[in-house]
Amino acid sequence: MRLPKFDYVAPKTLDEALKALTAGGEGCRLLAGGTDLMVKMGHGLTAASLLVAIKGIEGLHGIRFDPSKGLSIGAATLIAEVAEHPDVLKYYPAVAQAARKTANTQIRNMATLAGNLCNAAPSADNAPVLLARGAEVEVVSQKGTRQLSLDDFFNGPGQTELARDEILTQILVPPAAKASGASYQWISPRGKVDISAVCVGVNLRLDGDVLKDVRIALGAVAPTPMRATEAEALMEGAKWSEALAEQVSAKASEESRPITDVRASAEYRRRMVSVLTRRALEEAHARAVENWGV
Amino acid sequence: MQTYAIVGKNVPRNDAEAKARGAALYTDDLKLPGMLVGRILRSPVAHARIKHIDVSKALALPGVKCVITGEDTPKVKYGNWRLFPDTQDEYPLAVDKVRFIGDEVAAVAALDADAAAEALDLIEVEYEELPGLFDTGAATQEGAPVIHEYCPNNISVNRKIQYGDIDKGFSESDYIREDTFHVHAVSHAYLEPCSSLAQVDLDGRITLWTSTQTPYIVQCLLASTLGMRENDVRVIKPFVGGGFGGKMELRPFEFCAAFLAKKTGRPVKFTLNREEEFLTGRRRHAMTLHSKVGFKKDGTLMAKDLKIRLDGGAYNAMGPTATFLCGNFGAMLYRYPNYRFLGEHVYTNKPPASAMRGFGAPQSLYATEVQMNMAAEELGIDPVEIRLKNAQVTGDKIPDVATISSCAFKESIQKVAEMSDWKNKRKNLKPGQGIGIGCYSFISGGVFNWFNTQFPFSAAEIRAYADGTVHYLTMASDIGQGSDTVLKQILAEELGLRMEDIRITSADTAMTPQADLGSWGSRVTLMAGNAILDAAKKLKAQLFGAVSARFNLNVIYELECKDGRVQAKGRPEKGVSFGEAVAMVQKANRGEQVVVRGAYTPRDKGLVTPAFSFGAQVAEVEVDQETGVASVKQMWTAHDCGTVINPKSVEGQLNGSIQMGLGYALSEQFVMKDGQTLTTNFLDYKMPSALDMPPSKVVHIDSYEPEGPMGAKEAGEGLVSPTAPAIAHAVHDATGYWCKDLPITPEKILDGMKQNKK
Amino acid sequence: MKHQIRLNVNGDDYELLVDPWRTLNEVLREDLNLTGTKLGCGVGDCGACTVLVDGKSVSSCITLAVAVDGKKIETVEGLAASGEKLHPIQESFIEKGAIQCGFCTAGMEMSALYLLRKNPSPTEEEIREGLSGHLCRCTGYNQIVEAIADAADRMKTDRGKGVKP
Repeated sequence: MRLPKFDYVAPKTLDEALKALTAGGEGCRLLAGGTDLMVKMGHGLTAASLLVAIKGIEGLHGIRFDPSKGLSIGAATLIAEVAEHPDVLKYYPAVAQAARKTANTQIRNMATLAGNLCNAAPSADNAPVLLARGAEVEVVSQKGTRQLSLDDFFNGPGQTELARDEILTQILVPPAAKASGASYQWISPRGKVDISAVCVGVNLRLDGDVLKDVRIALGAVAPTPMRATEAEALMEGAKWSEALAEQVSAKASEESRPITDVRASAEYRRRMVSVLTRRALEEAHARAVENWGV
Repeated sequence: MQTYAIVGKNVPRNDAEAKARGAALYTDDLKLPGMLVGRILRSPVAHARIKHIDVSKALALPGVKCVITGEDTPKVKYGNWRLFPDTQDEYPLAVDKVRFIGDEVAAVAALDADAAAEALDLIEVEYEELPGLFDTGAATQEGAPVIHEYCPNNISVNRKIQYGDIDKGFSESDYIREDTFHVHAVSHAYLEPCSSLAQVDLDGRITLWTSTQTPYIVQCLLASTLGMRENDVRVIKPFVGGGFGGKMELRPFEFCAAFLAKKTGRPVKFTLNREEEFLTGRRRHAMTLHSKVGFKKDGTLMAKDLKIRLDGGAYNAMGPTATFLCGNFGAMLYRYPNYRFLGEHVYTNKPPASAMRGFGAPQSLYATEVQMNMAAEELGIDPVEIRLKNAQVTGDKIPDVATISSCAFKESIQKVAEMSDWKNKRKNLKPGQGIGIGCYSFISGGVFNWFNTQFPFSAAEIRAYADGTVHYLTMASDIGQGSDTVLKQILAEELGLRMEDIRITSADTAMTPQADLGSWGSRVTLMAGNAILDAAKKLKAQLFGAVSARFNLNVIYELECKDGRVQAKGRPEKGVSFGEAVAMVQKANRGEQVVVRGAYTPRDKGLVTPAFSFGAQVAEVEVDQETGVASVKQMWTAHDCGTVINPKSVEGQLNGSIQMGLGYALSEQFVMKDGQTLTTNFLDYKMPSALDMPPSKVVHIDSYEPEGPMGAKEAGEGLVSPTAPAIAHAVHDATGYWCKDLPITPEKILDGMKQNKK
Repeated sequence: MKHQIRLNVNGDDYELLVDPWRTLNEVLREDLNLTGTKLGCGVGDCGACTVLVDGKSVSSCITLAVAVDGKKIETVEGLAASGEKLHPIQESFIEKGAIQCGFCTAGMEMSALYLLRKNPSPTEEEIREGLSGHLCRCTGYNQIVEAIADAADRMKTDRGKGVKP
């Protein structure tokens, strides 16, 4: 692997970055941790004539938690920081788990959570939990700021809703509802650290003995991280039972659209969606029950 | 048992500090003034005729100093099987034809890496594509396209072994089973990508620093492909970051570095990237093994008929050896009174397979051991008992092939069963848990002179100094396995010196004595070790003579080198320090330096090896029955490697073997499509990580190999074989699924479980 | 256009003019001749190129040199601070047989340093997690894990003696 030639700027403020991005035109790309971009460029999969580095922008760093508004994660925040942040660990354990499970120590020390989403790999470790938790992203351009649901963010492998002159500035995750629980489950054919062959994020809430706000998100089984909406609908408003969890998981499996690649076959992925969804539902349900009294 | 001062001790490696400091220089760390950067253009198609190559645009690029294609070279074919020139089927750069995706087509030398990379894009090659053959079935079909003109049926080698009466053996069997196994190709995945740096001396000779296991082989084949005399080529092995069989041949980039250095008059360095390594690097042979075995009701083996097809890829490489060794290993471990083997090495349009740790044994023994476990189950005999019943013992012969001079196989089986609490564990496992056994035998170097060397297989030179030090020179190659340390231990022991008294120069073909065939087949400890002992014996004769004269010793006195002294045995006062003894010999020779030479070549040792090692391994596995993911919980190993020279080194080799065996069994594979390797990085080529490694317990069985230096024989390489069958057995124990098609993926386990339920 | 950057590597200041597409690994190995840091895969999978940037372990093969302008870099060559006396991590690696071919060693040692600074008493599982970004083909890792546990003990003893780890 050898990087092609390009120019590089490292603005200090968001304004400077937006200016550079607009001026840079077609061949301009944002650089955060670079763990995906460098590899793609090295293999000639992504071309860029100018890289605009955003890690030097002070305002894009940091994790803030407010019990009423929720969590905000700046675009330059490292995945390692998300995995270890006390508020994330306490109030968003499934988010922390997905971050901790991403790639390996060195990559987590370089890569950003925002970058993991913007790279828009179908297998992005952090996407399913954030989708399940109803995350939104704040996007800024010289024309202004907009906020969009993560549900509307992914368009295809490597494709997002971001316009060429826009920067994702922060990821916003709402506070957990009372008596709710989330879970992240993954599997890959080797060990505990790997690119997931399949991953699943689930969030649900107990309203009395009825399940509400059920969100099931799947990774690495479609061109983008996806919601299993029909499976969610089966569970929404129903009472918890193991049989229901099985049924919902089977539905999620039906909804998935996996392909066969070097990591796993489509058939295996489909089976695993079912297994992992059930496990995630069980864990999320158990956490919701536990949070009942909180 | 003999006690030793240094042999058998955990002496730290002599290169460990340099490596811990980051000071050890590997080939890519080397830099010479004026050095150019080389890169290779590779074929993007699997099988094609080269119609035309235009390098003019690349040559015109600023910074590009030279571009070469096969047409510019002397067009001399090479291959390790020099004894049979017909098998030498490879050109350093393609001539007329390319035969796999990655085949070397052209090379450039440029001022920097950027220019070299750009130049590759500017070389225009016109191919006329030919149909590609991607498996041995297609390649051996009537009328299949021919990959090498000299070999019309694409079967380049066939080897046979036969003894006893196979038909009678089966007719007298009560229980016969036939199984077909498929084992897959895997990567050596040494951490150091290959690298070579060539320089032309002032007088036109070539010096090549290269990441190799076999400096001597590279020296000879580089000379022949360049049209030079062997002594005009000097090959130096810097520190090497692992080889495992993947660096034991002349490689095209070595040729290109030397050829371009000649053409440009400047040093040229080539370093492969990991993608090139995965895409085009050598690999372990994928094979189809058809095995028929016959037993008596009581488990006694009666006959075995083994047919193997090796997927050799585009060139022979070390395939002929692997083919023969498969047949040899098929007859090892157990007493087969009647045995027949046919091995065929088949050309396909894929990257060439070659030697890799185990050299035919992991494939052959996978079939042997899984089949043994299957038979044990059907005959209702404990897998440990059926092995003990049939196990080879010291003195056993494979007719016309080998004699086993030491063998503690039964002891190994018994010990591993005891260590793992085999009997109780098997009874008390929970659903999803399983335990399994696998065994191995391996060689301590080969005896067959396929390279047609005119020198001893290994040689040693010792220069002794009056300051009490010696300088030991050997062409043996430490590639990370620790052979420099082990050889120094043997020498220190023999001369009664300390490790720090010995300077070692190794693996430099112009400076160290001719020759040594290199580091492969676990040959170094035994062969280079015996060569040192031969040299040390000659040195001791001179030292003993001097001391005997000095003290006017009775001729019946025995002398010894011990604790830095040369003295009469039991009469230490009748002696002098080692340095004083050297000074006396030097004085007696009127100042001439005290130098001795030793050599070793195995003779009258059959067709395979001077010595076999043995061992048994047990794996405990847990399978997630919903996902099919198998994790190995614990490994136990008992093995017979003769005298252990350095226990920590042997354990390190063992753990490394388990890592490799684990990957072979469960996760590593080349995913390929139409000759294209798709798994070209470590994310997709799934080598076990620290989190995947199980705890491992090991016992070395006390044994002594008469042919080995101080009783030592092979350790570490053979141990890569038992892991996969032990895991396969444990997975079967846990799920009912027998894997006959490696690797054992979660998907196969789930499918296997489903079928068992039916 | 080349960029002027300043790096502090193992306590030494360097001013360099580099092309933006050159990696930290290339600059360390080629420009500064610090070849102890290796290149095993070039895409951040194997860990052989691991160095610390402002105290955090990173893969130098996918880190742009321009992106670490002004930062403090620690490499294997800086481990034995005084030159002669080895760092406890190096001593443990040597003694426990954690080094075979040695190509993964520098990266492993740097990750061990990162881990032990953050967590002076790691469990075996935490050590294995800490090595998750490293591959080794020779040792099977177990002796490396042992070495890091041993280094943790040595560093605690050293700390007692007032030696800065």
